[in-house]
Amino acid sequence: MKIIKTMAFGVGLVLSAQISQAADSGFTLETVNPEADRVALQNYFKKRFPDAELNDYVNGIYAVDSNSREQWEEIEEFPPYEFAVEEGEALFNTTFANGKGYADCFENGGIGIRQNFPYWSKEEGTVKTLEMEINECREANGEKVLKWSKGDIAKVSAYMAWTSRDQVIDIKLPEDDAGAMAAYLDGKKFFYAKRGQLNLSCANCHVQGANIRIRADLPSPQLGHTSHFPVFRSKWGELGTLHRRYSGCHKDSRSHPLKPQTETFRNLEYFQSYMNNGLAINGPGARK
Amino acid sequence: MRKLKTLLCATGLLAMLSAGSAQAAGQEEMIEMGKAVYLNKSRGNCVSCHQINDPDATQAGNQGPPIVAMKQRFPDKAVLRAQVWDATVNNPITIMPPLGKHWILSEAEIDAVVEYVYQF
Amino acid sequence: MKKALILAAALTLVPTFVAAESFENAYLQARAMYGQGAVFEWNGKQYAAVHEEEVEADIAATAENAQMMVDKAKAKNKEVAELGFEWKLTRGIIKDAESALTAGEYRKALDLAAQAKYHARMGIKQYHYAQSSWQLSVPQ
Repeated sequence: MKIIKTMAFGVGLVLSAQISQAADSGFTLETVNPEADRVALQNYFKKRFPDAELNDYVNGIYAVDSNSREQWEEIEEFPPYEFAVEEGEALFNTTFANGKGYADCFENGGIGIRQNFPYWSKEEGTVKTLEMEINECREANGEKVLKWSKGDIAKVSAYMAWTSRDQVIDIKLPEDDAGAMAAYLDGKKFFYAKRGQLNLSCANCHVQGANIRIRADLPSPQLGHTSHFPVFRSKWGELGTLHRRYSGCHKDSRSHPLKPQTETFRNLEYFQSYMNNGLAINGPGARK
Repeated sequence: MRKLKTLLCATGLLAMLSAGSAQAAGQEEMIEMGKAVYLNKSRGNCVSCHQINDPDATQAGNQGPPIVAMKQRFPDKAVLRAQVWDATVNNPITIMPPLGKHWILSEAEIDAVVEYVYQF
Repeated sequence: MKKALILAAALTLVPTFVAAESFENAYLQARAMYGQGAVFEWNGKQYAAVHEEEVEADIAATAENAQMMVDKAKAKNKEVAELGFEWKLTRGIIKDAESALTAGEYRKALDLAAQAKYHARMGIKQYHYAQSSWQLSVPQ
């Protein structure tokens, strides 16, 4: 009886070679280099889509697919999130029962600060997102916390993004704090690791698979991913937060999805947002 | 090289899992089942990434290579089966889910979808 | 027909990634090419490509056995959940197994629980593999 061995043989060798090469290129706490990651990602997409402008990546798939861009631009003329932004503004300016408001919880009264989120809090030893601080602000002032995925929290967040449009994303990674670097690395690892029954990484669709059709859909490039959140998705018919989208994507890999604002998702947001340093906030956005 | 399915047929388990029942069914039925697996979103959903010259496979994606010249590309049908079963063997970062290894499809469904695409 | 050694292939599995040719690879390759029960040879002996769980479930279809298999599936799924790699459908399959058990369909319950446990075990493997392979798709 003949036995089938050859395939298995090759794989073992290939893998071990790639892994040993990988050990020195920013995959451990000792070697991780966020700036090098950011530049490498930009270069990757420059090569893949030479005609796309770097600053245009905040527009997602429409930066690289001219066919659907026109349709999207028409949508943006009468943006479906407009009403939600107005509601968000009203919510933002409604004082709490104790007489204080959101403006008292944030720098610059909460206006034009979206580009600084998420950030690493040394005191708390964790990544803080905008939505997290919106709820912490409520809690500190004796108000009930909001649900994470949609509704009022998305509206307040949308208004805060709106006031920050065109501000340049500026995510800091304090080098004197190993915790920040570990959080970044954790997010990076989550993005590139295959998971779920379908064995998909975020990168499968949003790096290698960007702008290649899955059925009739074109996955967006990961560069620019977080800039336009919260987002009004036609599929949802409403506004949703970044972590709502994360949960959905996670589920699409046939994973049991994590809940919004879990540490892992916040670390992922930290990594993804760092990749967008230098690009402009354009939230809220409209997508399919 | 051979499959000694008979050895295991004694076990009741096989009634549900094995390719046996599918093979017993006619070739045509098998191809029909394979086509359903190919097109159905919650089964194989192959159409989401592979174009195929079947009028029912509308709006096929192009993440993966088109299903053409299969007999030339895979003279040994078992090699094609292995590719469906676990494409990560040949490319660890492939977007293609390991349909057999992760038991996304049953072994019978894999046999069926291999028969279906092998016509093209 | 030769007498093949029907051993639960996976029962003897050890983490064998380093080996260029391992029992596991030979097993997976046989299963991939020829399906369940395919016979393959490794180190001069013959084996059948049957998943560990398929062997486990190949027992008398009794309520007791079905319950045992469901419990095993639950325990394994808890293990993979703790690693953060739980799959989406596994809990539902376990539920279906429990419903089958309640309905007295013990064979069905055994088979479903076997699949759920297999899924959980593969998720654990996926987690360990990810630790040394996520780097492969990072743009350099």
